[in-house]
Amino acid sequence: MKVLLVEDNERVTQFVLKGLTESGHTADHAANGRDGMALAANEPYDAIVLDRMLPGDIDGLAIIEALRKAGKRTPILILSALSDVDERIRGLRAGGDDYLTKPFAFGELLARLDALTRRSEGQGVQTRLDVADLRMDLLTRKVTRGDRDVVLQPREFKLLEYLMRHADQVVTRTMLLENVWDYHFDPQTNLIDVHISKLRQKIDADFDRPLLRTVRNAGYTLSSHE
Amino acid sequence: MSKPLPVNLYDSGPRHVRALRSSALKLSVGYIALGLIVLVLFAAPLWYAWRVTIEDNRMAILQADAQRLAQVFRHEGPRALAELLSERVGMQIANERLLLFADPQLKPLAGNIDHWPSQVPLTPGFNTLRLQIDGRPAEVALVHLQLAGGYHLLVGRDTAFYVPLERRFWYALFGAAVILSIFGALGGILIRRALMARIHLVRQTVSAIMLGDLTHRLPAEPVGDELNTLSQTINGMLCQIEQLVHGVRNVSNAVAHDLRTPLAELRVRLEELSLTRPSPDHTFAEIDAAVSDVDRVISIFNALLRLAEIDSGMRRSGFVPVDVGEIAAAAVDFYQPAGELKGARLQLLRADTAQVRGDPVLLAQAISNLIDNALKYTPAGGNVVVSVTRQADQRIEVAVADTGPGIAEGDRRKVTERFYRGDASRGTPGVGLGLSLVDAVARLHGTMLELQDNHPGLRASIVLGQDTRPIERPAPVVSKPGELQHEPVYL
Repeated sequence: MKVLLVEDNERVTQFVLKGLTESGHTADHAANGRDGMALAANEPYDAIVLDRMLPGDIDGLAIIEALRKAGKRTPILILSALSDVDERIRGLRAGGDDYLTKPFAFGELLARLDALTRRSEGQGVQTRLDVADLRMDLLTRKVTRGDRDVVLQPREFKLLEYLMRHADQVVTRTMLLENVWDYHFDPQTNLIDVHISKLRQKIDADFDRPLLRTVRNAGYTLSSHE
Repeated sequence: MSKPLPVNLYDSGPRHVRALRSSALKLSVGYIALGLIVLVLFAAPLWYAWRVTIEDNRMAILQADAQRLAQVFRHEGPRALAELLSERVGMQIANERLLLFADPQLKPLAGNIDHWPSQVPLTPGFNTLRLQIDGRPAEVALVHLQLAGGYHLLVGRDTAFYVPLERRFWYALFGAAVILSIFGALGGILIRRALMARIHLVRQTVSAIMLGDLTHRLPAEPVGDELNTLSQTINGMLCQIEQLVHGVRNVSNAVAHDLRTPLAELRVRLEELSLTRPSPDHTFAEIDAAVSDVDRVISIFNALLRLAEIDSGMRRSGFVPVDVGEIAAAAVDFYQPAGELKGARLQLLRADTAQVRGDPVLLAQAISNLIDNALKYTPAGGNVVVSVTRQADQRIEVAVADTGPGIAEGDRRKVTERFYRGDASRGTPGVGLGLSLVDAVARLHGTMLELQDNHPGLRASIVLGQDTRPIERPAPVVSKPGELQHEPVYL
């Protein structure tokens, strides 16, 4: 995936560029709003990571608004030290697709980028999800693994649905909190791990090959292959 | 404060006093002037009315006298009149009444004026004139009658008779003005002195406060005069400021303390790593631990920022109609595994509709914090009951009751203070911001966190005003194709 990073802080830039390259992506960098705008408008990127506060007269939100007005649908992840919920809302309203506050873990950034680019590939309306031998019927709300029925609570169903839609991607705890529970705050607990282990009990317990894996320092992934 | 303010205050002190003195002086001078104007305005019409009445009266008397004399003339002839006049002139002690009877050639026939005054016009009527009488000037009022056969009759009166009366009037007026000025000035001085004494007290108190002693209060009697009302208001403000400063001081102390612990651990970890240079595996494990130390610090900061965000009241603009029952149900659902792990029962009792106006994110966080707190202190086999009920007054009560150790009566107010951690919480994870956040959220929603005894345990509740407007389902701000189709309560 080809990513544009618009960020003026050198430390953060190095950290993100190195991380992206190491995980097999190519990345361009712009240190101010003007350059960022020029690159974003002219080059084809799979995703843009954008700092909100940039030196010069063009800030992050202005870039987003300009791109969206020009009809560019490139997924944009806003990176900002402004953590207020209202600031988040402003960023998303302006046309950003996701919002990550500094300081952040690289795993979180990468997972969100993966989710964004996968999302923008645009699947049609699905009625069935398949990951390896795990199958979810979205209409009858029936879940099976192999030839066995898996009985799930409504919230477990939602959790598994999210994991299956993002199969083979790393999904972080924050992403799960936001998307499955709609909790846009930090509940200061490791409860997500408990929910995951309960789900794991139901889908992986009696099978040789576990599907739901823990990714150290990042989150979880539901993998379709060995 | 960049400048040492108290010093400035003392420097400018005398100037303030002078300014006040002159303003007090101006005020009393103004009042005295006003008093004098009122006095004049009062005296002028009185004076005028008095003058007019006297003049009219005088004229009527003279006219009647003249008519009587004219009647004598008409019935008994000029000789009889001349004799009458001579008789009256002889009887008069002073020249109080002026009389003159003259023939058609203006030659005096009788009376106490030796010649016809040249200023008197030849046409009959009433005149006030300045004449020489007995060699002295006098103001006289004269009635001039033309009698049959061309005779003239003058009947007059010296107005000097009234002069002492007038003079007394003026003296009285002047005296009143002097008394008014003296009392005005005296009153001004006394009022200024009383005012200065009280202002001096206020200044002293304020100086002490500026020097850093916030416990001082302005002297204020319960009687509600203006200065006392002002003092009471200022005292109220001082209480608020003292509380805030106290809070800030506490928070910064607590922040410093709570941040020091993970930072100290981090420092030890890194130093040890650098000294012992263990195997790569061990090194990476230590680095991971260091990262989670840092995460702890960050999460404390995040919690503080969140509190500041709520406290600023900015979020009230984001209020929408929400069903707290749904929020509580989601939170119970989220915390269910924690209860199971602990061996405690987590239950929800929920009213059919519990719609309120509020911030869904903050309400969710507040309810989560209450449940988290309750589960933390409830022993295995205990019960945590989350209830959303409609009260008799139609307001919605959200309560979380546990069967833990509870909070001692005296400590209940303290738990909402930032970083306060009760004795029971020693050794449990948490930074002591949970209930402060709940309290802040409650206050943002115009209510407060109430803590009661659950016999045994703690019952924490928030009572929210009901909202009868229909719940609007806000459209998702960002369209997410292929994303989970959950109802976006908030984005």
